[in-house]
Amino acid sequence: MKRGLSFRLSALVLTATGLVLAAVVATSYVIAREALLHNAEANAKTLAQALVSRIEAVLAPIPGLAQGVAYDLEDGDLPDAAVERQQRRILADNNAVYGMAVAYEPFAHRPDQRYYAPYLCRTPLGPKMINLGGDSYRYHGMDWYQVPRELDRTVWSEPYFDQGGGNILMSTCSLPFHRMENGKREVAGVVTADVSLEWLKRLVAGTSVLDTGYAYLITKTGTYVTHPAPGVAFNETIFSRAEEYGDRELRRIGQDMIHGGSRFVAMKSLHTGKDGFLVYAPLPSTGWSLGVFYPRDELLADVHSQAMVSAALGGGGFLALAVLVAFIARSITLPLRRLTAAAREVAGGNLEAPLPVLAARDEVGELAESFANMQTSLRQHIRDLTQATASRERMESELRIAHDIQMGILPKLFPPFPDRPEIDLFASLTPAREVGGDFYDFFPCGEDQFCFLVGDVSGKGVPAAFYMAVAKTLIKAVAESAAGAGQRRQDGEDAARAQRRGPDPGRILARAGDDLAQDNESCMFVTIFCGLLNMRTGEVRVASAGHNPPLLLRAGGDAQYLPTHGEPVAGAMEGVTYTTDTLTLAPGDTLLLYTDGVTEAMSPDNELYGEPRLMALAPELTGRDTREVCARVERGVRAFAAGAEQSDDITLLALRFLGAGANAG
Amino acid sequence: MDFIKTTEGNICILAVVGRMDTLTAPEFEAKCAECAAEGATRIVVDLSSLEYISSAGLRSILASAKKLKALGGGLSFCCLSGIVNEVFAVSGFSKLMPVFPTRQEALAKA
Repeated sequence: MKRGLSFRLSALVLTATGLVLAAVVATSYVIAREALLHNAEANAKTLAQALVSRIEAVLAPIPGLAQGVAYDLEDGDLPDAAVERQQRRILADNNAVYGMAVAYEPFAHRPDQRYYAPYLCRTPLGPKMINLGGDSYRYHGMDWYQVPRELDRTVWSEPYFDQGGGNILMSTCSLPFHRMENGKREVAGVVTADVSLEWLKRLVAGTSVLDTGYAYLITKTGTYVTHPAPGVAFNETIFSRAEEYGDRELRRIGQDMIHGGSRFVAMKSLHTGKDGFLVYAPLPSTGWSLGVFYPRDELLADVHSQAMVSAALGGGGFLALAVLVAFIARSITLPLRRLTAAAREVAGGNLEAPLPVLAARDEVGELAESFANMQTSLRQHIRDLTQATASRERMESELRIAHDIQMGILPKLFPPFPDRPEIDLFASLTPAREVGGDFYDFFPCGEDQFCFLVGDVSGKGVPAAFYMAVAKTLIKAVAESAAGAGQRRQDGEDAARAQRRGPDPGRILARAGDDLAQDNESCMFVTIFCGLLNMRTGEVRVASAGHNPPLLLRAGGDAQYLPTHGEPVAGAMEGVTYTTDTLTLAPGDTLLLYTDGVTEAMSPDNELYGEPRLMALAPELTGRDTREVCARVERGVRAFAAGAEQSDDITLLALRFLGAGANAG
Repeated sequence: MDFIKTTEGNICILAVVGRMDTLTAPEFEAKCAECAAEGATRIVVDLSSLEYISSAGLRSILASAKKLKALGGGLSFCCLSGIVNEVFAVSGFSKLMPVFPTRQEALAKA
């Protein structure tokens, strides 16, 4: 998947921002939670304390009431009616007191009476006085009587169901009263004040602690006075419960509670199974302890909701930031993308593709500028290349023109004179890439006369081709006009002789050379070897204008280069004269004309082919027909060049005289 | 193609080294024109170190000779050897141009 610059930029920025944001949210959550927990601890303690105070407000005065009665009993020998009045007054004034008893020692009230314990307690029909004690209610052995008597101080009993007394679930505050007996202070009985535990249960159970939190009360021995779980109150102690669940922490807490400790601790509720905090505090008057459990999740609900709010805010902010960053990244990379699109178009070949104009003087702007420069240079380069290609094509086409001129003007029909069996002639021209200006020609020139020639123009290319065309045409015109002049003078003796011998090659070259030399500003010239053959006699008259000497191959096997007079090239200067030599060909003799493309052919080692190598070829040329002679020489030269580039035209013209008596075909 | 140019009196001596073909021939013409521009219209060309001469080389010799002649001077050659001597002989340049076996003779007759 292709990911652009803006994508990566956005991704990086957003990742970094997201991390920072998450860290901030997490940190603020932790801080808020700590603060809230601290606050919750204070609140919980306050709540527990308030509950303790409410309970204490009820329970605290009760020992005082009992004490007041005890004092009255100690101070004077009150009549029973007065004691009863006091009991009734206390019950009327103190709703918390369920009942009140004054229990005497055996026979302490009256010598004949073992049990005497007037007890005023509340009934649905109002306070009712009953006398406790008897065989079915031996109170002297009961805890509420025994314990304070033995300890000789105020004691709150464990909760109990007062069977045969109050007949309700209660706790009794008891304290002993004394009489002086034989100078000694003796315990005379116990004053009790009962407290119904129903209201305490209702108070504690009715205390709402968050949603699922709860409060409970335990006595000095750890017995549950109230507990939200059914069947726990009065049946279990905090220690039995800790034992049951294997909760050592609860056991430790319980010990601290019954010893009057007050703390705020983290724990798991056995009742609801929730994590939370327990705050406990003692009830000083009874030595009992109040525990309040706060579920953690509910306590931290605010923190959670606050965390949710800040997370939502952070998330929303992050989304807004993402949109913003994406927008900014896109706007920053927009010029770059436009430039990329333009670059792609340019790369695709459209050099005229418009580049985006970027106002910003930033890196992208510089890139665009460099790119524009590159486009300009590229355009220039393509223009140059086009021009160079055009000029090369022009040159190629000039070479082709030169080649066409050269090849177009040469006679190419072999054998050239099928009706003249006396001669066998073949010529070939292999042009160099740069046309060298070679040419050959042959034509009948008067009765029985046959003119043949080979030429080589100086220089190369189109000028050489043109010059060659001019030279070839000129020579033919000169030769034919000379032949025509001979025919016109047919009537005279000289004329007949001239007719028989035909035009003179030296004269032809001299005249053609003069014509070529006139106004020859370019100083071009041509080397020509020209010969005239009398087809009846085999007599050949030849002249050379600076041309390579032809090779004469005698039928008998002798071979020799024709001697030259070192006479100059044609066209260089006016007024040059040329010597005409005469030789006679016997039937089977061959004359091989060539240009310097043969003798100056180069081997890869820059060695010249040279006349000696051509001469060495002579034995295998003797007796062959002229086409074969040309082919063999060409093959020899090509083998010598061995792939080296041919620098000049290679021209060959072979003429074999077969004798006047030869038959056509 | 290289040139070693010396002067003897008001005669310019050009020793030509290398090959004179279609590509290098114009250099020879330029060199002769340079000598002429410096006032030395009589030039002796030492061809002892010339390895090869093509028809284009001959053409540039001819052109230079004509120009120098028009200026009242001339072009002469010395120390021809090997293929160059052959080319001069075959093309008839030995007859068109003053050619001497040694530099001294060329200078004496220039």
